[in-house]
Amino acid sequence: MGISRRNFFKILSVAGAATATARTPARAWESQAPSEAYGCIVDLTRCIGCRKCEQACNEVNKLPPPDRSFEDLTVLDRKRRPDEKTFTVVNRYYSGRIDERDQLIPTFVKLQCMHCQDPACASACIVGALSKQENGAVNYDVSKCIGCRYCMVACPFEIPAYEYHDPITPRVMKCTFCYERVANEGKLPGCAEICPVEAITFGRRDTLLKVARDRIKENPGRYVDHIYGEHEAGGTSWMYLSAQPFEKLGFVTLPDHPMPRLAETIQHSLYSYLWSPIVLFGMLSGIMWAFRGKGERQEDHEGGNL
Amino acid sequence: MIPKVPAWNRLRRRLTLTNLNSAVPLGLVFMALTVGMGIQLPARAMAAAAPPEAETAKAPEAAAWSAPDQVDAQKRAQEVVPFVAEVRDECKLCRQQRLRDEGLGVKDQSHSYLLLDSPIIKRTEDRYGPVRFMHSKHATITQDCALCHHFRPADESASETVRCSACHQDAFRQDHPERIGLKAAYHQQCIACHEEMAKGPVGCIGCHQKNAPDHKDLVQLPANPEPSQVTSECLRCHESAGKDMLSSAHWLWKGPSPFTLDHRKAVHHGKATTAVNNF
Repeated sequence: MGISRRNFFKILSVAGAATATARTPARAWESQAPSEAYGCIVDLTRCIGCRKCEQACNEVNKLPPPDRSFEDLTVLDRKRRPDEKTFTVVNRYYSGRIDERDQLIPTFVKLQCMHCQDPACASACIVGALSKQENGAVNYDVSKCIGCRYCMVACPFEIPAYEYHDPITPRVMKCTFCYERVANEGKLPGCAEICPVEAITFGRRDTLLKVARDRIKENPGRYVDHIYGEHEAGGTSWMYLSAQPFEKLGFVTLPDHPMPRLAETIQHSLYSYLWSPIVLFGMLSGIMWAFRGKGERQEDHEGGNL
Repeated sequence: MIPKVPAWNRLRRRLTLTNLNSAVPLGLVFMALTVGMGIQLPARAMAAAAPPEAETAKAPEAAAWSAPDQVDAQKRAQEVVPFVAEVRDECKLCRQQRLRDEGLGVKDQSHSYLLLDSPIIKRTEDRYGPVRFMHSKHATITQDCALCHHFRPADESASETVRCSACHQDAFRQDHPERIGLKAAYHQQCIACHEEMAKGPVGCIGCHQKNAPDHKDLVQLPANPEPSQVTSECLRCHESAGKDMLSSAHWLWKGPSPFTLDHRKAVHHGKATTAVNNF
């Protein structure tokens, strides 16, 4: 046997030392959230479920016409999800609260891409087709996309949709935060502009948080003391205020840390300075070196037999 | 016409006296009338002598007549007043009490009819027509100005109540992020109150007229279309309207109603049976 016990431990200790030295320079994970991001607050106590936001979204983004008219409110009878033809949908929930005439009070919930501060989809994207912009939008660049759909798996809100019906040029479809309108034309997102009751408030994220906290403080009976999206998944650009606990309204309960933190920490610490491939291949070559004579001898032995 | 009155009285007296036995009094009546009219004749002649351009210019205006209060309301709705940045911080009850103490109430309103419309809203969208708002009716029913006029400007010299668009203008103002825009102020106020009182419309077309697109270019018909061509042209876009028609009483009517004449159910006539235009 070519590798002695002593040699084997030598290799192991070298590998161990390499690991230890490589770990120290690996930086702690840092948020890439833009400091001056825009955002929206959706006040569910204000929403009247008129579906005008869906209509405006459809028109602004030039999406295909809907199967049923936007004025048809019976659409609200079943729960929907944003898909490749609709970037935003409004769902109706009954939490069991009734008014003084014993009528169930509905709560309407608008769904769209949350435009996370540290988006998991952008982290999962292997070609950088999805990226968090300075103005807060999580932007999709179709020219880079290779259609792997990792973003759809990564998104904690299950938002990105895929044009499965288009075999030649399929795209990942999701709310754009009206990136072009906001960044280049200085306009508001289509939904925020049309909302008749200002259930959607558009502004800088830090200002919005202040506004939201003020609303809760001034009407403590009207809201639950929680801004959904302030901390969820490390914070999102779209945030919600509600009179009902968010779990009752179909909101997923998420940890406060950004989704990409764990994955990126593992990934970055494994690959910083390429130490782990170096160690791996170093170990492999060490093993090969240690066993270098054995095969030949085997051959010799076999040759001798013949 | 003043000199006619005694003449008319005299004539009437004479009429009764002569007991309608002669045509003379009638002739006198006619004469008296023409004299009465004659007083105004010069004025009319003056009007007729006015240049004809003025007449033709006036004609379309006369054709598009609209009520003076509607014109006033339209004019008022187009005004944009200076923004009221600061309001007096006062609770609703305090405000109601103060208005009562100052003797201000429903009787003090200056406009009984308003159009809820503003260039501020039109800047971003134009999907619906303006809302006709009966200010005095709402005031009389609620008997509470502070329901809508919930704050007053901080400036002491300003009016106690100001229009909605004085405080609520553009949405998402950088300097006043907490202040809702005019459109939201209208909708939140109207819908919330109508819901609370279970009175008044809460849907879009309950208050607004929808801005229908101009059908001049949309409708494609030959020069002298057949009636059925017109119907099919309408149905080209309004497909469901045709289906609705088929389930309406206009189509399903088949003679006398079973609820009227002897509870009969006989089918005599109707669109779906014997009528000619059953396209």
